[in-house]
Amino acid sequence: MQNFGSNNDLDEKGHVMTDQPKIKVKFEPKPKPSKCPICTIEFYQQFFNIEQRDVYMRVRCSILSWKPEFHECVGKNSDLWGPLWISTTIIFILFAGGNLSRFLLEEDKRHFKYEYNYMYVAVFLVYAMAFIIPIILGVIIKYILKSELGVFDIVCMYGYSLSVYIFVLILCIIPYNEAQWFFLMCGLANSTIFLLVNLRDFMKKNKQTLLIAVPIITFNVALILCFKFYFFRLIYAVDD
Amino acid sequence: MDYSNQKHPQNYSQMEDLKTLDLEESVSETIMRDLRMIAYKLKYVLIPKEQEDNGKELRNWDLWGPLIFCLTLAMTLSFKADSTTSSSKSDVFAIIFVLIWVGAFVVTLNAQLLGGKVSFFQSVCLLGYCVFPINIEAIIIAFVGSYLPFVVKLIPVIICFAWSAYSSVGFMASLVPPHKKKLAVYPVFLFYLFLSWFSLIV
Repeated sequence: MQNFGSNNDLDEKGHVMTDQPKIKVKFEPKPKPSKCPICTIEFYQQFFNIEQRDVYMRVRCSILSWKPEFHECVGKNSDLWGPLWISTTIIFILFAGGNLSRFLLEEDKRHFKYEYNYMYVAVFLVYAMAFIIPIILGVIIKYILKSELGVFDIVCMYGYSLSVYIFVLILCIIPYNEAQWFFLMCGLANSTIFLLVNLRDFMKKNKQTLLIAVPIITFNVALILCFKFYFFRLIYAVDD
Repeated sequence: MDYSNQKHPQNYSQMEDLKTLDLEESVSETIMRDLRMIAYKLKYVLIPKEQEDNGKELRNWDLWGPLIFCLTLAMTLSFKADSTTSSSKSDVFAIIFVLIWVGAFVVTLNAQLLGGKVSFFQSVCLLGYCVFPINIEAIIIAFVGSYLPFVVKLIPVIICFAWSAYSSVGFMASLVPPHKKKLAVYPVFLFYLFLSWFSLIV
């Protein structure tokens, strides 16, 4: 083994040593690209990149629905935290509030039977409205009607549009027919206006895109009808 | 090491040394040891003064404790559920069981997605152990609830809900960056609210 100078000293194994201090480099294996990127946690982490204040601002934009500020609020940062936890809160309110409303109207309070089916129906209804319908609409808007809005942007918008129902459904516990219809109509108007106002720029493109307003309005109307006729139906005692 | 003097280990790492004796001891001893471990962890999780080492004990997670508390809660509530319709009891059991496990899973996933670096099972273990106060209130209300007015029933419910939430909130909030704390804590609050509501109405 020859010595080629102090810069090229050999160690006992015959490897060339340098004058630089030996730095231990920790070898970190590169993460393998997953075959299914949508199945990894990392993919969804980009949708949870928000702070407390952001959520508050977005809910505020949704409740003040006539101002088309939602896209400014969100920017490129759509989130899934809002849709997920707003819809879960609504499920709880439907289950607890729906049964409470019936309880308040019940004469024989000791033998009140709790309806557990409300849980299953609420889960199906609210998650369908918050996720399945916006995903379908989002796919149509993005791929068929060629918009720059992505599927997750539409999911985010739909999720926040439901935030007004948190307040509406708590008020619907009051067991008076007219009051319940009034609050539900306010919620319907608010939610639908929010969705239409924020899609307005996209809908102005041509007459075809205006058709997207039809399913939006239809699904919102169907939702409040389900709320009224299943969860908050008022069964009055029949006088013999 | 003299194992005979270590029948009541003071921490879980000492219990590790005893594991070699598993095959030699009787079944009752094994069960008692596991129960003592659950009791130790329960005390650790629910009594904040015990947590001097910032939750390091939680690294030794287990799912036996959460399973026992989940089953006890589900059985207590379904036992108390309305027996006139046969499906009510099974509905309640199924809802509680699924709610606890899926709820713990989703709350932990939420914390991870918000950037929290935590072992998945560690968090599920903590949330499961914190269901214990709700167990207590469910048992109280199941046995004495029918004799008490509604307002009096609310008192143990609120106390136990606050105790559960307070025990787990500290841990969950420490996992995520400061400006996301409320986003990680709100689902925990909702989870225990769901369970407390069930124990109140059944």
